[in-house]
Amino acid sequence: MSVTETLLVFVGIPAAAVLVIAGLSYAGSRGGGSGGGTKRYRPGRPFDFTPVWFLGRPEQLADSAGTALAAGAQAPALTSRKQEQAGIEAPAGGTGGASDRW
Amino acid sequence: MTVGEKQAGSPNPPEVLDGPFSTRQLLRIDEALRLADQGTGLVFSVFVGGLDEPIREHAERLHRQLAEPDRSVLIAVSPNQRQLEIVTGRHARKRIPDTYSRLAALSMVAAFGGGDLTGGIINGLDQLASHAGRG
Repeated sequence: MSVTETLLVFVGIPAAAVLVIAGLSYAGSRGGGSGGGTKRYRPGRPFDFTPVWFLGRPEQLADSAGTALAAGAQAPALTSRKQEQAGIEAPAGGTGGASDRW
Repeated sequence: MTVGEKQAGSPNPPEVLDGPFSTRQLLRIDEALRLADQGTGLVFSVFVGGLDEPIREHAERLHRQLAEPDRSVLIAVSPNQRQLEIVTGRHARKRIPDTYSRLAALSMVAAFGGGDLTGGIINGLDQLASHAGRG
């Protein structure tokens, strides 16, 4: 083997392999999986995302605006009309549940 | 309609993907909701976002917006106020007594305190649904 061939095999190929692996790991850490970690909620930090309302079936929301609401879609803001309506309706006596803080 | 379908073809992804949940987490919440609905015959829904003061009244207002409030269970999470509200309708309350709601709330709050919104929501749904039993 000439000097050039030796260099190519023992330096060029390892260098190429190292570059490929480094590139792959860099791309993986940026794009995939955890999504960078900046988006997730951390207790105590301000939470300024748009409100979401998850429903198993979107048609379960009473007003017509809800029909376009898919699971995980953005919830429509309560308009004053809706709020008034909800206020006028007889309060659904006997609702139960629980409250808690963290 | 799923999140993926909405995304296809549109240049800007739906806003919910900008939220605190990844696509995988959204799918898991969707699945948990579907299983809870199917298993119990009740209607479960989850709201994550700011709630106005008084918080309990706002959560109950959201609950009344659902198609069948009596058979519905709303889990309202307000991360900014660090407040969790579980609202059960008149009929749902017979299946899930307040004691069990409180238990589910306790475990959800534990997960939220660790920063795990998705885990808490899924755990809570699972607990509520298993207490409600088959419809």
